[in-house]
Amino acid sequence: MKRIVAIVLAVFLIGGVAAAVVKGREEQGRSTATKTVRGVIGSEKAEFFADPEVVKALAARGYTVKTETSGSWAMEGLDLKGYDFAFPSSQAPAEELAAKYHVRQPLPRPFYSPLVVVAHRSAAEVLARNGLATVGKKGNGTLGMAAYLKAAGDDRTWQQLKGAEAHGELSGTLFISTTDPTSSNSGALYLAAASYVADSGRVADGAAAVTRTAPLMRKLISVQGAQQTSTDAAFRDFVSGVGNPLVLVYESQVAALLAQGQGVDDLTVLYPDTTTNSDHTVVPLTDEGRALGELLGSDKLLRGLAVRHGFRPQGAAVEFTAATDAHTTYLNQKLTGVRQAPVPASKVLHEMARRARGQGDSK
Amino acid sequence: MSPTSRRVTVAAVALALLVTAGCTSAADEPDPGGTAGKAAPGTLRVLASSELADMKSVLAQVREDTGIEVRPTYMGTLDAVDLLAKGRAEGVYDAVWLSSNDYLRLDPAAAKQVVSQTPVMSSPLAIGVKDATVRKLGWRPEDVTWADIEKAVRGGGLTYGMTDPSRSNSGFSTLVSVASALSGAQSALTDADVRQATPRLTEFFKGQRLTSGSSGWLAQAYDRRGDVDALLNYESVLKSKKGLTVIRPRDGVITADYPLSTLASSSGQVRDDVRRLTEALRTPATQRLITERTLRRPVVPSVPPATGLDTTRRRELPFPGSRSVADGLLDSYENKLRRPSRTVYVLDTSGSMGEDGRIDRLKKALTDLTGDFREREEVTLMPFGSAVKSVRTHVVRPENPRSGLDAIRRDTEALTADGDTAIYTSLQKAYEQLGADDDTFTSIVLMTDGENTAGAGPARFDGFYGRLSESERRIPVFPILFGDSDRGELAHIADLTGGRLFDAQKGSLDGAFKEIRGYQ
Repeated sequence: MKRIVAIVLAVFLIGGVAAAVVKGREEQGRSTATKTVRGVIGSEKAEFFADPEVVKALAARGYTVKTETSGSWAMEGLDLKGYDFAFPSSQAPAEELAAKYHVRQPLPRPFYSPLVVVAHRSAAEVLARNGLATVGKKGNGTLGMAAYLKAAGDDRTWQQLKGAEAHGELSGTLFISTTDPTSSNSGALYLAAASYVADSGRVADGAAAVTRTAPLMRKLISVQGAQQTSTDAAFRDFVSGVGNPLVLVYESQVAALLAQGQGVDDLTVLYPDTTTNSDHTVVPLTDEGRALGELLGSDKLLRGLAVRHGFRPQGAAVEFTAATDAHTTYLNQKLTGVRQAPVPASKVLHEMARRARGQGDSK
Repeated sequence: MSPTSRRVTVAAVALALLVTAGCTSAADEPDPGGTAGKAAPGTLRVLASSELADMKSVLAQVREDTGIEVRPTYMGTLDAVDLLAKGRAEGVYDAVWLSSNDYLRLDPAAAKQVVSQTPVMSSPLAIGVKDATVRKLGWRPEDVTWADIEKAVRGGGLTYGMTDPSRSNSGFSTLVSVASALSGAQSALTDADVRQATPRLTEFFKGQRLTSGSSGWLAQAYDRRGDVDALLNYESVLKSKKGLTVIRPRDGVITADYPLSTLASSSGQVRDDVRRLTEALRTPATQRLITERTLRRPVVPSVPPATGLDTTRRRELPFPGSRSVADGLLDSYENKLRRPSRTVYVLDTSGSMGEDGRIDRLKKALTDLTGDFREREEVTLMPFGSAVKSVRTHVVRPENPRSGLDAIRRDTEALTADGDTAIYTSLQKAYEQLGADDDTFTSIVLMTDGENTAGAGPARFDGFYGRLSESERRIPVFPILFGDSDRGELAHIADLTGGRLFDAQKGSLDGAFKEIRGYQ
């Protein structure tokens, strides 16, 4: 367990006081008395809080928000004294934090983003031809998780797939690149979805369940070799044409890139038919923290800005669909045909990640 | 030697290297600017891979745009990782910028020191083959696989140079790529893959004719020799050399993505400067500048790679997922796979070495170095004063490495300082000792603390060198400046023999000896 903490701490404090702070100070001069609210956030939201328009919108509602970034799983190990809120990127670490700090429920969950697999067209088409995915004419499709896990379990290589021979880069073991599940949220959520499918739709609830899927989970992770520690770096490598043909990222990363008017050469976004959502959940530590968390979910302007950063606001999907209408080529706006896998409790997921990384079988 | 002990010795000198880096100025190496220096606002002290010296003009532009100045200290990736793991970067550096963080991520202690990491540019590992050799082999560059390269090496049709995987990231990436490809591993390498591929790898590394601690010297040595067919290095390095066909093997490569990384120990202000620097480097304008000036590939989709960089995709070979596999591979390479080295240490033990505790420093440096010798390595100690005092040769035998190393330590302990300084006569003797030998990496290390005062003079040595056989002339001398030795005299010896000068006047003797290991 000590080792997890060490590794989890490895991603601790990513980025530091974001630009939001600097900008926030500038705003402070101009607007009426604002309250300074401090939070620890997942790194994928750093750009959102640093966005000058977000800073402005928050200032107009009386808030200056100062943020430090940290891996979601690392927040448990941080001393959060003096902070008003923590904002991990999924529900499991948020619940842990809420229990630790005796935070009253419900926790504000202003926005979410499903995990998707990005691929180039050639790879997506080979998967489709071999019954592992369905891909339409557009730049999105669906990945069949059960079929994929079967192939992974059988050590299927790209060379064994029909049509791969036309593409030199499609060789070696078929796998999805993820972040390190012991330190990063998206890697852990990948295991949540994969183990749910592998265990016939059962959510892992303890040691026995973890043991049932452990060999497959171990395989999914070990074939990857060295893993990135953040989804951000993994996505950037993909965008720059480096790395594995299939990479697990947040839909918000793709949507934000598209919103900036940037594209990726023949990008195809594969939505796993069973996936997990990254539920960005606020853990309020003070009243101000709670008020801010609720504001992020209820304020129209802030919801719109979240959409611009690729997130899906909770509740009505209208804003997201309206804002991404130009990008339906790539995005599955209504998540048609995509099922949500429930995420195991934090302790169970940790253990699953640890064993998948080959860090011993002890408890 | 176990990988662990090797890593420890590397770590032990990491600081020494840090201090000496920049003092070991050879013609081909940029001046890294000495020590990292004190913290200053707007200036970022960056622990960087040495290839990043080619970013000078790009960084000058970024400085103009942002006011942020980058002050690099160049270091090999593995040494940098050890430094981070020991917590010695804290307060000394503001950011880390290596060719890749793959190895760093395998070390939890080092990984803990680094927080956000953003790729800035990329360059895949490749093989640059002489145009004439490509024709002779009948290769179509786009179809060449690692197996084709192996076949050419086995058939005697291809020799190559590469950097030392223990010192340089390009060498390490080469080793991982070759091992992945030749083992037939379909996913990340395992210990079993490495074991199983050992016979093929041994054959493959028989083709290696040049080794080097840095990409810069490798390119120089390649030009000088003229009889080596190819170089393995990053595409950007190979593309900037004329007459090479640059091939990215079709079955996969490892790509350096140059992540600019912030350190956990730095302040919010510094991290913000690093973030601003990262953003400035990733603007389309800077990315265009990077790809045009350095021939690396841009990492933002809106900027196309410079003309001549082939854009067809390649499989990315997975990097080993554990430190034990990575270190096991390195250990195999150094102790089993590569051709062994034979080195003569020509050591000044003249009377002046008795002053200022110089002889004790020499003894300490040599004794420390014994932790770094590889299995199968042949080490000759040739102490000299008015003439060569003794010639003692020891081999580190795999079945009993200890006995050879103990013997080197005993002989080192017995060194005494007396007599004049007969540099050239002793060097001649070293050449005679090594003779013509194409099966090992042969080289001479010359450590002297004074000018030549006895025996043959420089002109006679030049004549002697000129009369050597072609194969003997390939033996480089690596002189070490120490005490009152004459820079001009030693630089001439390095130039004449195709070696490289190392400076232990400003830095430490330990550091110089250790750095030379990369060239042996």
